[in-house]
Amino acid sequence: MAVEFLERYSQGQSLCHRWPARAKIVLTLLVIATGTLLPLEYWPASGCLAGLALVGLSVADIPLGYIGRRLALFLPLVLMTALAAPLSRGFMGAWDTAAVIVLRSTVAFLAALWLVSTTPLETLLAGLCRLGMPRVFVSLLIFTLRYLYVLFDELARMKTAQRARTFQRQSTWRSWLGTTQLVGMLLIRALNRAERIHAAMMSRGWRGRMELLDD
Amino acid sequence: MHIADGILSNEVCLGAGLLAAGAVGLSLRKLNDTVSLRTVPLTGMMAALIFAAQMVKFPLLVVPAYGHLLGGVLAAIVVGPWAGCVAMALVLFLQMALFADGGWMAYGANVLNMGVVGSLGGHAVYSLIRRHWSGPRGVIAGAAIASWLSVVAGSALFCLEFALSHRHAEFNISSLCAVMTTFHSLVGVGEALITGSLISYLLTMRPDLVDLPGRSAGVVAGISRLLWTGTIAALVIAAFLAPFAADGADALEATAEKFEFASLEKERPAPLPDYEVPLPGVSYETGVWHKVSVSLAGILGTSAVLGITLLMRRFTRSKLDSREFEATHGG
Amino acid sequence: MPHSAAPILKVEHLSYRYPTGQLALRGVSLTVGLNEIVGLVGPNGAGKTTLLLHLNGLLTGTREPAHAPGLPANPAATGRQTTVGGHNVPIEVLGMPVTPANFPEIRRNVGVMFQDPDDQLFCPTVRDDVAFGPLNLEFPRNEVRRRVAEALTAVGLADYEERRPHELSFGEKRRVCLAGVLACEPSLLALDEPSSNLDPRSRRGLIEILKSCRAAQIIASHDLEMIVELCQRVIVLDHGQIQADGPTRDILGNASLMARHGLEVPLSIQYGLPLPPTASSPPSAT
Repeated sequence: MAVEFLERYSQGQSLCHRWPARAKIVLTLLVIATGTLLPLEYWPASGCLAGLALVGLSVADIPLGYIGRRLALFLPLVLMTALAAPLSRGFMGAWDTAAVIVLRSTVAFLAALWLVSTTPLETLLAGLCRLGMPRVFVSLLIFTLRYLYVLFDELARMKTAQRARTFQRQSTWRSWLGTTQLVGMLLIRALNRAERIHAAMMSRGWRGRMELLDD
Repeated sequence: MHIADGILSNEVCLGAGLLAAGAVGLSLRKLNDTVSLRTVPLTGMMAALIFAAQMVKFPLLVVPAYGHLLGGVLAAIVVGPWAGCVAMALVLFLQMALFADGGWMAYGANVLNMGVVGSLGGHAVYSLIRRHWSGPRGVIAGAAIASWLSVVAGSALFCLEFALSHRHAEFNISSLCAVMTTFHSLVGVGEALITGSLISYLLTMRPDLVDLPGRSAGVVAGISRLLWTGTIAALVIAAFLAPFAADGADALEATAEKFEFASLEKERPAPLPDYEVPLPGVSYETGVWHKVSVSLAGILGTSAVLGITLLMRRFTRSKLDSREFEATHGG
Repeated sequence: MPHSAAPILKVEHLSYRYPTGQLALRGVSLTVGLNEIVGLVGPNGAGKTTLLLHLNGLLTGTREPAHAPGLPANPAATGRQTTVGGHNVPIEVLGMPVTPANFPEIRRNVGVMFQDPDDQLFCPTVRDDVAFGPLNLEFPRNEVRRRVAEALTAVGLADYEERRPHELSFGEKRRVCLAGVLACEPSLLALDEPSSNLDPRSRRGLIEILKSCRAAQIIASHDLEMIVELCQRVIVLDHGQIQADGPTRDILGNASLMARHGLEVPLSIQYGLPLPPTASSPPSAT
């Protein structure tokens, strides 16, 4: 269940999925950098970059509905930030600042979406590691991802258990308390688990370095 | 809350990235000095927890809407400021790398605004309050105040970054800051409520998990009082003085001039004399809006914190004997 | 390798207090010999897990005999009042006292398997997880690869190296945990509830794997049928004290003893069912 949520499309088998991660990272960062540097007058170029990202997404078999949903969640937030500029002038100007923000961030978002939906996180991290990302940070990320799955499943189980004991519509205050309990209990369980993992690591000779057996 | 790419200029992203990298690097080093072998499981688990907890919707008590936890202050209180800072950097990275939430260029700015301000700054505020206000109420009030301040300070920092990014644009920066910080002072109330509730829950269930004496003592002892005072002063300035821009005493401009960003002043046209806030049917004289928003933010925040403290006092006292608390925490 | 005369594990008068002040273990004494498989039974909260966590120094108790008033004298402790080599450490593994200086050597020789496999599988892939112990013991890479392959073969998951922990079933997770412990090639396995939550087939598979292990084992479990099948000797732990220590059939067949400590006589003993033939034969590697 957590798997579906966390890696919806990154485990695919398309052409884009099979490209080496390093090449994809460099390409995406180039597109993002270019897209965020283009001034407003060059909007056709921005449009081309956005089109390129969309072509990439469709080659990678990412359904249009998913891209649309993500954009529908993304654009309002960017629009709110962008509109703050004209708002500060009482909607009497600064429209081009707003326009350039929306244009640039949409291009960058589509490019990033292509990268993350064609690359599983482990592969992405391996690529970033080779591009110079600190090893400590990568091993912490890998550990976090591993327990993200465990915590998501635990959270789902706790939610089910809570629903099973809730019979009628609750007042806001009650459901606030319930939610607090849910997250608080998850927090306590997570910290207890961290202690047990620490013990398990110590039992197997842990000396503070996360080493992986690379082939 | 996540800053997408394209909102800030690439120079600002680079600057923020360097600052964030410095702060996270320092945190990692501090972690290795203090709790080396526990670092990986504890920090990683905290990051996974914050990520999962952000998915849980809290019903907001006042308005019929949902909010979620941001978590910087919570992480700092439970696992300490350094581990909290690293955990937030991990959470933000995973959200970026799994869902494309938050831009790749803006990652540094996101870590700075939410992770560094939330965990390091938030913990500074929290431990200051804890020192003057002992007992469970001090813990809860400290957590709530620190959460509120961290959200407002993060948004003020964003305004500064935004202003530096669009130096040649013709919008009114002081009004923008007023709008942004006012909005985030409301978001901050939600964060303060959620963090306060969670901390009070922890205090009733497992008081030993909150603020282990060894952890915070090490941090507090390790850094001079001066530095803490400086951080808090900076937070307060960021939170409260940024909107005070109306009467020409523009804090941002003053900062910009100090750092010789004189071009900001030259390129920007003077604020409109008859500025109207675009709220339906409401209009203000120049400057009034800013004062209103600032005092509104201040009043809201203070009363929310007060309310939370009173509420939690009831919530906590019923289950936790305060003498028992003093015994485990040494006051 | 130990010389055959010394026991693999020797615990004398081990006492442990939780940080909250509650006594968890009171003067526990036991020995485990070469190739011995010992069952550790007792009700919830008896101190079984706490005892296992002492065996590789994760918890450090003190050496003090139990003389709490109102409690029965410790039958296992009587007649064995010798000091361990003149020092004051309550546990010895292969003749080494369990002290921080010996931790690397101890942890290589005592493999502890925890109850929840998710606590033990903290690496991105099965291979990395099984390799974790050998890598931390600083074996050369080729040796690590050999051990990983051997351990995974031993638990019947030879082609699982690339799999990710969250894709595995519960039984597979537990077997990977066991492989991670076996890869360190320990002399003593300390297993905490190895058969809990397993379906009958996974449980059967696990029992067969444990039968084929060469290492001495100490198995804490509520699965008394498994204990009957695997162990020649059983220790009953309750209230942090050893209540009985002896041959499996004598101890588990003692109805009043079982009832006193929240246990039951296993059906196979109650009805005199025959044991599977391999149970008492010396374990051999497969």
